[in-house]
Amino acid sequence: MKVLDKELKKKAINLLKNESDSKLITHLNACVRCGLCADSCMFYLAHKEPQYTPAAKVAMVSSLYRRYCTYAGKMAPALVNAKELDEEYAEKMVDMLFGGCTMCGRCVKHCSIGVDISYLVKKGREMLATMNMVPATLQSTVDAAVNTGNNMAIPVEEFTETIKWLESDLIDEMEDPEARIPLDETDKELFYTLNPREPKFFPLSISAMAKVFYAAKANWTLSSKYYDVTNYGYFNANNAEATIIAKNLYDEIHKLRGKKLILGECGHGSRANRWEGPNYLKKKYDFETLTAVELIGDYIRKGTITLDKSLNKQVCTIHDPCNLIRNGGMFKEIRFIVNSSVENLVEMDPYGNDNYCCGGGGGMLAMSEYNDRRLKIGKIKADQITATGAKIVITPCHNCVDQLLQINHTYKLGVRIMTISEIVADALVINNKTK
Amino acid sequence: MAQIELEGKVFELDGDGFLTTPEVWNDQVAELFAKSDGIEELTEKHWAVVRVIRKNFEEKGNAPMIRTICQETGLRLKEIYELFPLGPARGACRVAGLPKPDGCV
Repeated sequence: MKVLDKELKKKAINLLKNESDSKLITHLNACVRCGLCADSCMFYLAHKEPQYTPAAKVAMVSSLYRRYCTYAGKMAPALVNAKELDEEYAEKMVDMLFGGCTMCGRCVKHCSIGVDISYLVKKGREMLATMNMVPATLQSTVDAAVNTGNNMAIPVEEFTETIKWLESDLIDEMEDPEARIPLDETDKELFYTLNPREPKFFPLSISAMAKVFYAAKANWTLSSKYYDVTNYGYFNANNAEATIIAKNLYDEIHKLRGKKLILGECGHGSRANRWEGPNYLKKKYDFETLTAVELIGDYIRKGTITLDKSLNKQVCTIHDPCNLIRNGGMFKEIRFIVNSSVENLVEMDPYGNDNYCCGGGGGMLAMSEYNDRRLKIGKIKADQITATGAKIVITPCHNCVDQLLQINHTYKLGVRIMTISEIVADALVINNKTK
Repeated sequence: MAQIELEGKVFELDGDGFLTTPEVWNDQVAELFAKSDGIEELTEKHWAVVRVIRKNFEEKGNAPMIRTICQETGLRLKEIYELFPLGPARGACRVAGLPKPDGCV
């Protein structure tokens, strides 16, 4: 166990003393310990241990607030459940706030008084980041993004080669030598972004989106250098690093003079760029920001692309990514797209705003330390999927896709996991022929 | 930390089941990992994928792009996903003894 550096500990505690952050102070003082949140949390449901209840995670942070920021806590800590921040306590915070919560926010919707629990968990993570206590595997993903411009450290030339390779496949498939996956083009209407796992290991979703763009005759480009839609700085809660990552994308869209930033299918990336990005950079974005979900929805609504849902006959269900539904407002838009693309949609129970996280959110997927826990909580999702009888699970988030792939394998679900662009591409009607 | 033992040798694993010291990897480890992923026998096609990944790792220190795997083995993308049901990262890279790649995998 490492000893807490006094200066860093002080800095961490100071994060709770920001009195101009009225939301923080209000929510730190608000939990009435009613316990209604317990059954909303997949960690608690899977483990049935009190430490996993959202209220207990809130208490990890608020006990420090009381100890260091209130008169009663300073004078008589035991009376007000105020706790000392020492090494052991900090290690416990790492285990519960990084390894025991995906910040999915389901508990927030179930809280009797609306405490923003994931916001407080994130504040706890910020404290840990200040003390250099981010789990190593999560930190290494952030380091890769900060040092190389993408979270898988893909060199520019390897990315470019991959895109050219996919482009030649697109030309063959569309039987059109003019079909393109444009790179580094300036003054385009759409500046599209990707999750690095697409070019690295799972490029079919890039091909699918390229097909949608082809059908829509879109004016678009990718950057060969800064295309990463993720921002793991949101998860490790190191705001300085999150700002560097957000700024890379902000600067690149200006450099290429793109008009609209299109966020590839990524839950936290959409949130971190769209809602948090302007806060990180402390300026309003002077370009429009849209998720791929909204863009595709628009194409369908305006008739820019034509779909034939009889091309997707298998029973499908939707996994709602937390950061696009509870924290992103995409509930109706995703249903509109899927209902336009498939014949038979069966919803999970519960779904939408009350849906369970896949179990891989909050940076969990990157943290090997908690693999067993992640698969254990994923059983809830596995059971939900089985109950629908669906053969295809559609989700507009690559992080969810990966967790679902692992759940699919572990619990032998025998389903196919697809992104929104992949299911839409399969229903596309191009030039009177189907693709 | 989890461990596996093979012919008297102990191999340490990270939480995701990847080798923590990729240098100690050998063909028997590959076969054992494959089996635990439900691949009963590593065919020539499996080995072709594993060798490309291993070579890239030894030369460049990381996993190759899926494009490199496809082009060097002559396999189609979909075949690779069928060969390794957990995908190129959690499946093939683990069998090839690499550490877990960063990011959403």
